[in-house]
Amino acid sequence: MFHLVVCLKQILDPEIPPADFKLDPAAQRAAACGSLVVSIFDENALEVALQLRESVGEAKITALSLGPPTAVDALRKALSMRADEAILIRDEDFPGMDAHGAARALAAAIRRLPPADLVLCGRETGDWNGGLVGAFLAAELDRPYTNFVAGVTKQGDHFHLRRQTDDGWEVVRSTAPAVITVTNDDHNLPRIPKVKDNMMAFRKQVPMWTASDLGLTPASVAGPNSRLEQARLYIPVVDRKCEMVGGDTSESRARQLVERLAALQVI
Amino acid sequence: MRNVLAIVIPAGAFSRTEAEILSAGRRLASQFGAELTAAILGPSDDSFARESFAFGAKSVIRVEGLAGYQSETYSIAAQQAAAAADVILFPSTTYGLEIAPGLGYRLGASVILDCVRLEGDSSGNLTITKPVYGGKANSELVARHGPVVIAMRMRSVAPGEKQDGATGEIRTIPAPTLSPRTQILEHQTEDAGSGPKLEDARIIVSGGRGLGNKENFVHLEELARILGGSVGASRAACDQGWVPATLQIGQTGKKVAPDLYLAVGISGASQHLVGIAGARHIVAINKDAKAPIFQVAALGVVDEWQALLPKLSDALKEHKARNS
Repeated sequence: MFHLVVCLKQILDPEIPPADFKLDPAAQRAAACGSLVVSIFDENALEVALQLRESVGEAKITALSLGPPTAVDALRKALSMRADEAILIRDEDFPGMDAHGAARALAAAIRRLPPADLVLCGRETGDWNGGLVGAFLAAELDRPYTNFVAGVTKQGDHFHLRRQTDDGWEVVRSTAPAVITVTNDDHNLPRIPKVKDNMMAFRKQVPMWTASDLGLTPASVAGPNSRLEQARLYIPVVDRKCEMVGGDTSESRARQLVERLAALQVI
Repeated sequence: MRNVLAIVIPAGAFSRTEAEILSAGRRLASQFGAELTAAILGPSDDSFARESFAFGAKSVIRVEGLAGYQSETYSIAAQQAAAAADVILFPSTTYGLEIAPGLGYRLGASVILDCVRLEGDSSGNLTITKPVYGGKANSELVARHGPVVIAMRMRSVAPGEKQDGATGEIRTIPAPTLSPRTQILEHQTEDAGSGPKLEDARIIVSGGRGLGNKENFVHLEELARILGGSVGASRAACDQGWVPATLQIGQTGKKVAPDLYLAVGISGASQHLVGIAGARHIVAINKDAKAPIFQVAALGVVDEWQALLPKLSDALKEHKARNS
């Protein structure tokens, strides 16, 4: 059967207000200062897969996540949006895993599944904003890679990928099987799960594979990015003071704003 | 010493994007005590080589016989050009972000995308600053050895001084031949309104969720027309389909560096602020005095945009009339 695999990561909610955002200096990453959600573009990727399934009639969608046991919630979200299956690859035994290693682990899991016609990832995660795993996964699986995809149609044995460019959009024809990374646009807003699908998702079994099950070792998931040393992680200080334009009416506020802009010599 | 290679992918005329990547490369090469090489991938006239020398490249590699952009072909061409390079710099364009990781993968290089600052030292250590958590934090990464592939965020580098007439060695390598698995069937430029390109605009009038609907963007277009600027939008407005995705500014859209950025009905989510970090003056119009946009704005007006914008248009027209 036509098979789509969507890779999803569970991350700290990127929408939390900057004032609530805190770092964990010992762990050299964000502190647990908000709820955990499915990373933004990953949900768009799932939505693209769901729309593709609707357009071809029949397809199986497998949601795959690499993460700690809590990431099962991200997979349940995917199931409630109507992915067919979900699998968690537990990564807590592999603290040294970098983006290359993550791609290696995902590729190993994908090779265990029925052959995937299309693998979809978000264009970058909302935590480290790396933007690498999808491209590395394509390299691991030796499949063509296209980024910034907003929509997919199947044309015979090829895909037509509508992707955003710096000045507009393109249609890229890709052989199958393929790997794509997805960006947001107004046609792939993630759907809201139905209540009954939420309940179904809760009852569904989510198999957990460990990286060792997949034949990986700590050394095999420490790629070239583990050569980099994070010397510092910090919240940049914004040292700007906003001058509020006063006035009793909108008209007087508008006039004062124009005066201030003129004084700044920007108009 | 580490050899630095800047990748230039011509798209139309030589633009600020290429000037930025060459300038970042020249600065880094001089910190290493090394020289900058530029690789021009894609069909181009002599202007790209000339400009590459003017912006500090000591040598230029041209790939002979490359047709229009195709990711696999360009990636192999980049790999051939990068044979002697230790640090390879790409712009964070769609194409740059598409081929940089695959090149890094084949070279066994560390790869970091969307970087905003590079600092080299004479021992060849490289410190890379990359915004993370949607711009809420910065990560400083140190690369001490091994090849490194970096994509620089657009508008994060001020183009350096240009030396017209500078020349250097031009080396030509043949284009790789392979049967590509992807092909661009159609390329459409999206009409981004009447003003200048967002990345090059001096003035940007931008709208967000607070605008409420698609039709209300007319008021921003009117303001942009009076100011001689361009219209932009937040992700919220683009996701609603009010404006095309090409107008999106932020972590997931364009990075801009105007003299004046006028944010209307934009709350100021960090992922949006990432896109306007290069703006000289940010002016915020929002009815909510607590909106985070005011923390980064130089000037703020707390008002309903529906009430303020018509008065602002009038006041700007009067100002223009007085000064013309």
